[in-house]
Amino acid sequence: MLNSRWQRSILFRVIVSTVAFTFVFIALIGTLLFTQISNGIYREKTNASVSEAESLADYDQGQLYATQYLAHLKIDTVVAQILRPSTPSINTAPREVVLLGSLVGLSKNDTYNGSSNKLDTSSIPASFRKLVQRSSKTHWLRTDVKYTNGTTQPAIIVGTEITIPPASPYELYYVFLLNEQTTIMGFIERLLWITGLFSIIVIGLLSWYVTRQAVTPLRDAAEIAEELSAGDLHRRMDVKGSDEMARLAISFNEMALSMQQQISRLENLSRLQQRFVSDVSHELRTPLTTIRMASGVISAGAHKLDAAGQRSAELLASQIARFESLLTDLLEVSRFDASASILESKEINIGDLIKQTIDHLQPGDNTKIDLHFPGEIVVAEVDPRRIERILRNLIANAIDHCEGKPIDITLVATDREVAVSVRDYGIGFSERETNRLFDRFWRADPSRSRIRGGTGLGLSISLDDAKLHQGTLKAWGRPGQGAHFVLTVPKVPGIPIETEPISVDPNHGESTSFLSFDEDDI
Amino acid sequence: MTHIMVVDDDQDLAEMLGIVLTGAGFEVDLVNSGDQVGAIFQAHKPDLVLLDVMLPGMSGIEVAKEIRKTSMVPIVMLTAKGDTQDVVLGLEAGADDYMIKPFNPSELVARIKVRLRRSTAGESTTLRIGDVLIDQVAHTIASRGKSIPLTRLEFDLLVALAKEPGRVFTREALLDEVWGYQNATDTRLVNVHIQRLRAKIEIDVDNPTIILTVRGVGYKAGTSSE
Repeated sequence: MLNSRWQRSILFRVIVSTVAFTFVFIALIGTLLFTQISNGIYREKTNASVSEAESLADYDQGQLYATQYLAHLKIDTVVAQILRPSTPSINTAPREVVLLGSLVGLSKNDTYNGSSNKLDTSSIPASFRKLVQRSSKTHWLRTDVKYTNGTTQPAIIVGTEITIPPASPYELYYVFLLNEQTTIMGFIERLLWITGLFSIIVIGLLSWYVTRQAVTPLRDAAEIAEELSAGDLHRRMDVKGSDEMARLAISFNEMALSMQQQISRLENLSRLQQRFVSDVSHELRTPLTTIRMASGVISAGAHKLDAAGQRSAELLASQIARFESLLTDLLEVSRFDASASILESKEINIGDLIKQTIDHLQPGDNTKIDLHFPGEIVVAEVDPRRIERILRNLIANAIDHCEGKPIDITLVATDREVAVSVRDYGIGFSERETNRLFDRFWRADPSRSRIRGGTGLGLSISLDDAKLHQGTLKAWGRPGQGAHFVLTVPKVPGIPIETEPISVDPNHGESTSFLSFDEDDI
Repeated sequence: MTHIMVVDDDQDLAEMLGIVLTGAGFEVDLVNSGDQVGAIFQAHKPDLVLLDVMLPGMSGIEVAKEIRKTSMVPIVMLTAKGDTQDVVLGLEAGADDYMIKPFNPSELVARIKVRLRRSTAGESTTLRIGDVLIDQVAHTIASRGKSIPLTRLEFDLLVALAKEPGRVFTREALLDEVWGYQNATDTRLVNVHIQRLRAKIEIDVDNPTIILTVRGVGYKAGTSSE
């Protein structure tokens, strides 16, 4: 999900990367700063502690030596004085003292071992003690010290050798507690954290705000472009100010306007065109009615005419009929073009419809039609007028072009769809011609006799009728091998077909392969 | 002699209609505009009116309404557009039937004859449908003692339903029986005239008791409430 968001949103990407970079940068700066400050503070404290310890140790050593010459000065008193903890005041940091006897040879001298304030003497690490024992200089160490009551404190230990008369080597440790420094460092650490987090939040918000300034118009433009392409041609972008975004909005709106004008111009043209075809068809109907009636009167009195007159009357009548069917077809086509066709579906027996259609066409005795119907009755909810028109076209075509060979009509039904195929073994047509077969007024062979006086619109209207049912009408043909037309329509309107139970290629056999319904075909 | 009034602004078509109808044995009056219909109709009292829907001036629909105000004469409309609202408007205005141009002259004559046909008395002279009494000889109907004027088509429609009280008529069956259409599918004719008939004879048009709708099938006669 995050990944897709990363891909989809510039805003998201900018904010995440800005925050990430800021975090890394601030973390580095913070660490560096913290280390520098802490080093500085501790170095200062260490120097002060070492020099204080040295002067104290000098004084203590002097006092201890003085016990040998001054009778009233006892070693015990001096040691007690040494081990007395400092009185905490504003200027002096708290410090503890530890006195430990050094191990020389095997004899133990721990007579005066002690510490101030119950500081655990084991707080002095053994390795540090060895260092102090081995040299006569002062050494220091930063470590945590323990009290006997269990608390620990960070501290700097400064150790040096001291001799308790007559000649016992001891180590004297001054333990400078670092409470103050720890508090300061803690405060600084907290300060750094707060500043860092605050900066990240501020920079995150800032980047969000700045990016949004740039992204919002883009997002608006994308949304409006989507609505435009969905057909809402009136949508426009808001133009604010005169910056780059305003220029984007202005040119976007100009584009939308010119697109809208173009589309409405084309729509108008096409509407006018359809209107014109429809009007022409209707206007032609009144004179055609008169002509037709006149022809009827002439035909009724034809027996009074000579042979040429009688034939003329016949031709007049048949051509009027042809003209009329042309007009009807033209009107139907203009209705399809104007998307004004409505499906008037009802349940009908498809087998009966096929038989009725054949009866109406009255094929001659030398045309043999073989029906291949399934055992059960096939009922579908279709527009009978349109399906009958398709069947009439297909069967009439087959009768016209079968060249005396039998015609096969097959009816197949599945749960969802009904398919009717009309196969003849006559002259057929080439593969190239298949593509043009459904074009208006296209004739496979202009010189071919128009046996049934078709209008040239039949197959085109049939295809439109099939599409109106959300079905398909497909053709296959080979010169000399005949033609094969397959109509597939859903059994119930609105439930698109899934398969074509009869394959249009007769060599392919029965096909049940899945076929996705192409919306663009409607 | 049967008198037919032809109302059409197209003079050639009107003349041709005159020739054909005269040839079929009718007497024909030709009227070229809707405005003249009223006067000629009163003077000649035609037996049937053949009316073009698209007339300049007073439209065919208005002419039909005007005629229906005073007369129950059969009206057959002529129209170039069979699939438009014009047809329904014309039927609602009182036309009994319509022909789409270009029509077959013999079919026109046949249709006119159906509309002029006097439904001859059947076995029983008096029929009952709901609370309506139909006198087939006098060609009148009465509901609760009150006489109701009907057009000949409405009368035929009511008689067709009343003759077979138990039968449910599909719209196609009524088209065949009353209008004389075979294999016709235009159910607008039936729907509009059933509505007009109901408006005349039903007490509550929204809850009909005389002509009942059988959903998805068609219509049947209501039973008497007595």
